Amino acid sequence: MSDEKTKRQKKNFVKLSDMAREDGQPLLHLENEDLMRLPPPLDDPAKDRPWRPIPDSAREKYECILDDTVAVNVPKPKTKEEERELVKKFLAGLDKLFLKEDNWTFLQPLVLSMEYCVKCQTCSEACHIYEASGYSELYRPTYRSEIMRRLYFKYVKHGGFLAAFEHGDIKLNWALVARLIELSYRCNLCRRCAQTCPIGVDNGLIAHELRKLFSQEMGIAAKEIHDNGSMLQLKVGSSTGMNAEVVKDNIEFIDEEISEKTGIEVHTPWDVQGADVLLIHNAGEILAWPENPGAFALILQQAGISWTMSSELAGYDSVNYGLWYDDAQFARVALKHAEAARKLKVKRIVLGECGHAHKALSVIADRILLGEDNIPRESAMTLLHEIVMSGKLKLDPSRNDFPVTLHDPCNLVRLMGVVNPQREILHKICPQFREMHPHGVDNYCCGGGSGFAIMSGNNFEDWRFHVSGRKKLEQILNAFSDCVDDPNVNKYVCAPCSNCKGQFRDIIAYYGLWEKYRIGYGGLVELIVNAMEDVKPGFIDWEWH
Amino acid sequence: MPIFEVNGRKYEVDEDGFLQDPSIWNEDVAKDFAKSEGIDELTDEHWKVIHYLRNYYLQYGIAPMIRKLCKETGFKLNKIYELFPSGPAKGACKLAGLPKPTGCV
Repeated sequence: MSDEKTKRQKKNFVKLSDMAREDGQPLLHLENEDLMRLPPPLDDPAKDRPWRPIPDSAREKYECILDDTVAVNVPKPKTKEEERELVKKFLAGLDKLFLKEDNWTFLQPLVLSMEYCVKCQTCSEACHIYEASGYSELYRPTYRSEIMRRLYFKYVKHGGFLAAFEHGDIKLNWALVARLIELSYRCNLCRRCAQTCPIGVDNGLIAHELRKLFSQEMGIAAKEIHDNGSMLQLKVGSSTGMNAEVVKDNIEFIDEEISEKTGIEVHTPWDVQGADVLLIHNAGEILAWPENPGAFALILQQAGISWTMSSELAGYDSVNYGLWYDDAQFARVALKHAEAARKLKVKRIVLGECGHAHKALSVIADRILLGEDNIPRESAMTLLHEIVMSGKLKLDPSRNDFPVTLHDPCNLVRLMGVVNPQREILHKICPQFREMHPHGVDNYCCGGGSGFAIMSGNNFEDWRFHVSGRKKLEQILNAFSDCVDDPNVNKYVCAPCSNCKGQFRDIIAYYGLWEKYRIGYGGLVELIVNAMEDVKPGFIDWEWH
Repeated sequence: MPIFEVNGRKYEVDEDGFLQDPSIWNEDVAKDFAKSEGIDELTDEHWKVIHYLRNYYLQYGIAPMIRKLCKETGFKLNKIYELFPSGPAKGACKLAGLPKPTGCV
């Protein structure tokens, strides 16, 4: 271990018992000097952007006692009695996490993660947040898990004195619970730690289960993913607030734009009974990256695929934010997705470029979609691969003759093993394709995973760009190290996931990477259409990326 | 809720500084919020964007696609950023008294 690393670790060290400190002060403060060094041209910490402080208005009202930021905005209890009630609720929720009647999703891996960690810390070295923070103890993946583990042995298993001796004691008070709420939102749930653990202990799952406890038992969740996310989706049909009328109107606009731009008349079909494919986009694409659904429509149409979109409630928005924090919300949305497909009697659902939607509907929803709800689900990656390799589209790779690198969305790649289809497409159509290192199932999260990409309240963005997004930023700069200084070369970070694209858009803007270094970003289908011989040249509109 | 205080007036805003109650909006609100977005004076070009956003919001209950905003106003994206340095969502929508856009946008 280098002296520098040891020095930083010492400066930012916190003990497990600090979580219960009642001084009302944060446990950690980071300076840019403390953070992992970035490669050139962002290698000077003195020139890195300053962090905005948490606004006083937030400090007055909310619990801001973990670190330099605040994500969840938990109101401060007014009385000691209120604090005791909240701790009681927390304990009731903790018990439920370990009952099979209440935790139908993740009980077994949770118990195994509680019982079998040997504290080897292999996982810590794998965590991009821990590394980027300059190895701050608070962000060590096992720090959160160890708190949870001690609570489990003391309060769920009632281990008494022996458990305290064997597993370590822990003091439970409101300060600890308040800090734990925030700490459960300092993990991207990318599960790189779980992948590297020799026995499969899953710190990401532990963070997830904590969020679930807070949401399901205490009604506490980040507003962006609950009130303005899954609740809005169940009410109007989409977390973006688009109802069926608005989404159809927007798609009509996109069809017109794409037809004009490509010279090929494009028509998106709605609510076609018996179509082979129901395509569900993350509806954010429609509003923020309309060229993506436009490119999908063009490709499917030109490849002769029988497909449709659905105007059912949630049938046109694949997001399922419940995946990140609440099993009940998750199940409600997953059932809506299945219902939309069932009503149209489609042969299968294809998920557009959205990572968490893939995991939600393809994998986790498998526990609840039974009988006629169990409609086959497929990734757009494999369908696009099939189309590109079939020769149905005439493709000219020279149209994509600029440096392209590929970001692997964690949910799609590490967690589902969809690794090669998108790479083989890029190898075929992008002559200057280069991998990041590491990549594939060993990728790093974009830094926006688990909902962070849409969370920006108070000063959360400063944390998101300096800490959780830092490792990916390093990878991007390294992938373009041969040309980063050349302002005449446009560079493309291909990210087949809306959430990751949101993070890239924001971090690119934060550091001025487009203006200074011509680093842009976009999805996969845009590159395919950009290479189509029948399409007017110049589909990729760099101004928008 | 945080309070945004300017020109002797007080507004309830959310954690991102967006007007808590979009229905109380009028042109004075836009003027009051402009300074905090680094805009000295609202020109006809600003008002064209603000009124388009406002009308779209009243009709559909959400913000329009940015592409639509550009097409309808005739302003390119970089022009929107010139007018509203924080961009169409965090800048222009805020001045037009729209709630913060939601979902993965």
